[in-house]
Amino acid sequence: MTNEVGIKVENLTKIFGSGESEVRVLENASLEVKKGEFAALVAPSGAGKTTLLMMLGCVIEPTAGKIWLGDELVWDEDRWSTPDTRRIRREKIGFIFQAHYLIPFLNIVENVKLIPLVNGWPDEKAEKKAMELLEYFDIADKRNAMPSQLSGGQNQRAAIARALSNEPKIILADEPTAALDMERAVSVVKMLRRIVEEQNVAIIMVTHDDRLLPYCDKILSIENRKVVTTTQSAHLIV
Amino acid sequence: MINLAYKDIAHSYLKFIVTAMGVGMLLGIVLIMIGVYRGMVIDAQVLLDDIGADLWVVQENTLGPFAESSRVHEDLKNTLRVNPEIDKTAALAFLNLQIKTPDGIMKRVYSVGYDPHGDLPAINPERLVAGRSIEKSHYEIVVSQKLGFRLQDKIRLGRNIYTVVGITKGAVSSGGDPVIYVSLKDAQELQFLYSNARIRNDRARGLKVDADNHLVNAVVATVVKGSDPDAVAENIRRWKHLSAFTVSDERNILTKNVIETASKQIGMFTVILVGVSTIIIALIIYTMTLEKIKEISIMKLVGLPNMTITKMIAQETVTLGVLAFIFGNLFAHAIWDKFPKRVVLEMDDAWALFSIILVASVLASLFGVYKAIKADPSAAIGG
Repeated sequence: MTNEVGIKVENLTKIFGSGESEVRVLENASLEVKKGEFAALVAPSGAGKTTLLMMLGCVIEPTAGKIWLGDELVWDEDRWSTPDTRRIRREKIGFIFQAHYLIPFLNIVENVKLIPLVNGWPDEKAEKKAMELLEYFDIADKRNAMPSQLSGGQNQRAAIARALSNEPKIILADEPTAALDMERAVSVVKMLRRIVEEQNVAIIMVTHDDRLLPYCDKILSIENRKVVTTTQSAHLIV
Repeated sequence: MINLAYKDIAHSYLKFIVTAMGVGMLLGIVLIMIGVYRGMVIDAQVLLDDIGADLWVVQENTLGPFAESSRVHEDLKNTLRVNPEIDKTAALAFLNLQIKTPDGIMKRVYSVGYDPHGDLPAINPERLVAGRSIEKSHYEIVVSQKLGFRLQDKIRLGRNIYTVVGITKGAVSSGGDPVIYVSLKDAQELQFLYSNARIRNDRARGLKVDADNHLVNAVVATVVKGSDPDAVAENIRRWKHLSAFTVSDERNILTKNVIETASKQIGMFTVILVGVSTIIIALIIYTMTLEKIKEISIMKLVGLPNMTITKMIAQETVTLGVLAFIFGNLFAHAIWDKFPKRVVLEMDDAWALFSIILVASVLASLFGVYKAIKADPSAAIGG
C-alpha cells in the first residue's frame, strides 16, 4: 500500500427527487481508499451502495461534494471535470459486475482488448496486454473461445482481465462473487487481493458475504446516510 | 479497432441471413412490381412498333383503337392515298376474344385483322418463330406461342374454323394479352357480322339490318420520305373530319391514357412496399438493439463512445439492407419468368432501389441508434 490517493470522497450528498418525494440516499459522506488498498462496501439493501458505486464510476451525478479519482478531482460540488465522463471511466476505472457481462459476440481476447483499442492503443500492444492478463488469470488457452463456451468462473476471470486491460488504478466491483459458489467466490477475491498487491490499485468491492471481508483492508459501511470506515489488517492473505 | 458490427453479425449469421432473405423477398417483389410496370410500357408499344406506321387515322373525336372505340370505313385507306405525302396505307380491325387453348382453358386474346395482300403487314417477321404469315384472305390464323397451339391446329372462332399457319413470340396487346392475327375480312366478320338468329330477329322487329361489315377500327399510314408526320396528321384532321395521330401521339395515348392508372396503382404498391421494407428493417434493427441493450449499457459503462456504438448499429443496418438487396435481386431473377405478363428487370431500376434501400436503411437505423444512445449505463450496475 502507498499513500497515494486511489479514491477520495468528501461530503458527498445524493438526493433523488424533491419536495415530498425527496429521498436522501447519502449525506455528507466521506471515504478514502488508497492505491494498494482493498475495501469492501457493505450495507443492507437500499442503503445506497449501488448509488455510491455509480457516483464513483462517474455514471450518475452527485448532488454535492467532491470526488477524487487518483489525483484528479473529477466531481467538484456541481460539475464533472470534463463533460466526457466516459473518458474518465475508460482511462481510470475498471468495472467488474455481478455477472461477467462479457460481450457475447466477441471472443475472450477481443473482449479484453476492446477498451485499450478504444483508448487508441495499437492493436499489437492491446493484444499483448490482453494475452498477458489472460495468462495471469490462467485462461490464455481460451483466448479464441466465445463467452458462451466458458464456465462461469472462467468468464468471471476474463471479466476481471477486461477490467484491468486499460491499466486502471481504480477498480469498482459490484458484487463480483454473487453468482459464484463459495469456492469460486474465494478464488475471485484472492485474485483481486493479488491485483491490489501486485499492481497497486485501489479496489472497492460491494459484497453481502461476510466470509469475504477478511481478505479486505477496509470495510466501508453505510450508516445513517454516511460512510463509516473500519480499517483492519487483512488477515487472510493470499 | 474491432469491427463490432461484423463480429455481431458473424456471431448470429444464420439469424441475420434468414432475416436478410425475408426482407430480400420483399425487395424482390418491389423489383418485380417495377418490372411489371416496365413490361406494361413495353407491351403497350409492341403493336405500334410491329405495325411501323407513321400515322394512325381513327374516328373523329376518339383517341384511337387502343384507348377508345373507333370505327371508320375501310375505303379510307384509298382516300388517304390521294394525299401526296402519304406513302402506304392499311386498314386494321382490333377485337378482344376468348380462345380455347389446347389445354381446354379459355384465354383472353387480342385479335388483329389486317389485309395480308396490303402494303403494311401487321406481323413483325422477327416475331415469327414457326410457320408463316397469313397468305389467304380467309380462315388462316397466326397465334402467340403462349397459347400452346401447334402449326395446322384448328381453332373455332365465331362461325368458322381457322388453321394455325404461324406462331409468334412476344406479340402482346397494350393490356398484355397474347395477340392473334387473322385476315381483315375474317376480323370484320368476327366483329361486325351478327348471327343468323339475330338477323332474323331484327327483321321480325322491322329493324334495318346493318349489313355493312366494311368497317375497320383504324387506318394506318406511312408518309413519304422527308414529310413531317405532324403536318400530315394536321392536314388530315382539317379536311377529313377524322382524328389523326402520329406514332408518338399514339405512344403517349398508350402510356398515359391506357396504362396510366395501372402504372399509378403499381407505383403506389411499390412505394408502400418500400415503406413497409423500411419499417421492417427499422423494427428488426430496433429489436436487435433491444436484445443487446444490456451489452450496450456495459459498453457505455466501460467507456465506449456513442460513435462506436452508433457505427455498429448503422453498419449492421446497412449490411442488412445490402444483403436484402442481393437476395431480393436473386429472388426477382428466379421468379420473373413465372409471371403470366411481361416482367422487365432493368439494372437502372435495381440501382435506384439500392440507393433508396441504402437511405432507408440509414433512416431505419436511427430508431436503434436512438435506443442505444438512450441506454442507461447504470443499468449494468446492480441486480
